[in-house]
Amino acid sequence: MISYFVSFLIIGSIYAIAALALNLQWGFTGLMNFGIGAFYMLGAYTSAILTSGPTTEHIGGFGLPVVAGFIGAALVSGGVAFLIGFPALRLRGGTFAIALLAIHETLLLVVRNESWLTNGVWGIRGIPRPFFEVVNPKHYGYIYLIIVGGLLLLIYLAIAKAVRSPWGRILRGIGEDEDLTSMSGKNCWSYKMQSFIFGSMIMGIAGAAYVHYTGFVSPQVFNPLMSTFIVWLMVMVGGTGNNRGVIAGAFLVWAIWVGSDFLTDFVPAAVATRIGFIRMLFVGIILGITVLTRPQGILSGEKRN
Amino acid sequence: MADLLASGIIYGSIIALGAIGLTLISSILNFFNFAYGDLFSLGAFITFFFLGLLGDWGTFFNLSFGWSLVAATLLSILVMLVIVLLIDRFYFKPLRYLGAPPLFTSLASLGLAFILRAVINIAWGPEVRYYSNAIQIAKKFSFGIRVKPDEFFIAVCTFVLVFLVYLFLKKTRTGKAMRAMSDNPVLAKASGIETGKVIMWTWIIAGTLITIAGTFYGIQVQLRPIMGWHFLIPLFVAVIMGGVGSFWGALVGGMVIGISEEMITGTVQNILYSLQIDADMSVYKPAVAFVLVVVILLVRPHGIFGKKERGT
Repeated sequence: MISYFVSFLIIGSIYAIAALALNLQWGFTGLMNFGIGAFYMLGAYTSAILTSGPTTEHIGGFGLPVVAGFIGAALVSGGVAFLIGFPALRLRGGTFAIALLAIHETLLLVVRNESWLTNGVWGIRGIPRPFFEVVNPKHYGYIYLIIVGGLLLLIYLAIAKAVRSPWGRILRGIGEDEDLTSMSGKNCWSYKMQSFIFGSMIMGIAGAAYVHYTGFVSPQVFNPLMSTFIVWLMVMVGGTGNNRGVIAGAFLVWAIWVGSDFLTDFVPAAVATRIGFIRMLFVGIILGITVLTRPQGILSGEKRN
Repeated sequence: MADLLASGIIYGSIIALGAIGLTLISSILNFFNFAYGDLFSLGAFITFFFLGLLGDWGTFFNLSFGWSLVAATLLSILVMLVIVLLIDRFYFKPLRYLGAPPLFTSLASLGLAFILRAVINIAWGPEVRYYSNAIQIAKKFSFGIRVKPDEFFIAVCTFVLVFLVYLFLKKTRTGKAMRAMSDNPVLAKASGIETGKVIMWTWIIAGTLITIAGTFYGIQVQLRPIMGWHFLIPLFVAVIMGGVGSFWGALVGGMVIGISEEMITGTVQNILYSLQIDADMSVYKPAVAFVLVVVILLVRPHGIFGKKERGT
């Protein structure tokens, strides 16, 4: 039971990191990123390829230290965000979201089909877990929780400081009224690009944090619902533009998600096989209710500070 | 080559049917409806439901389906119109009333997309289904073109439907009001156009077209609850490529995507084959739409037929 709870906290923290990144892009800068899963996936696979042991199944197996995996994940996600940003940041609002969604689906096709690179649907095994040798495997969760918790705190502090700085004020200005910010002499395109790259790097780090916990990665995890839209729900529930609210939203949504696992024990077998769709129904209903009744977020008291 | 072109036109006409409704919704209601793909699946599945009720009524023109599918599609359209009008009344109308920004309405439509897909999955299960198990013999034409009777039927119906929608938009009072709303909502309201009526007709046209497009897709490919979500990207690409709100843009955009998905992957496959490189390009068909939209947006950011920048 305790180990179940520790595992819940670890995955919750990883989602909270991704939610903070989305909050930077959407909550402050107004970038409707529907392709979170793409950067999460890039980070996960980059770190997996860099750190896993030698293999003949796919490229890499460089066996680098875990830290190099995290750095690589951030650099690749940020680099791809930079390249995507050129065409995509010319788009506004909804069109940007559609372009990012299309990019996610396209990258998912590549990951599924190019087995020389990613080992396709079989996935990559044997990804090292940091400090796994030093403790009893039974208690490993605590070690990883400290690592991920520390990472979450670090990223929270960095983002909280960044959005309070003059840089963050410009981002908020863009989020509220891009034309007005542009008229006051700010290069909006450049700031949007910086916010997009910074947020995407953090999403990549979240992906790396995920693979070094599970030790395994395959394309199934990166479907749009589990990798992109659950993070959107976390931000919407937690309160757009509210960093602490978003972290709370991440843990709350993940608790509901995991909690519905317990439901399968109490419902008939015929319903239990469709529990995934009942979850999907909940995601839709909560998202709809949030936008309809409390667009500022269920957990958030006021709209932005 | 010509064979790829023919199958591209069939696929493109299904995309175009969906994209015309989506472009009207995007411009008149001023938001991107992410639930549109799942409405496409729902329409196809409701047709499937009525087909099961009606049984076999015999067929015509050697089609793989018969009169009962035509009747099932008509019943499905009626049910879908009730559904979309109820959704608008109880979901999107309150948002319009609140004055929600377009992006929030888009997010709300995303929530609706999950609700619809979950309902389809719970009601029908995630299995693949078919309207008919009959195998069709394709008719051979010159240049190696092979067209099945079903495909011919889809292409002709699309042509007729597009023409009818065009006449509606061009000739009727409501159609003119819809074009006015799409062109300039503020000016349209100021000249006394009944917004409620225009929005209702937009849903009626979009709901009808999306049900027929979903059913055509079911005839041509298969029925899966996830199909609409995957179909959403080519639909949106057609809308953006043609320019949001443009009727001809959606038609041309849909055709361009359908044809290029078939021809580009087919041609690259042939080149790789002649170079003796072993790779399966057909899995990358959906990526073509994405590459196209990037190219178009770099060259013409407002789409082929688009005129001006929109806030959405």
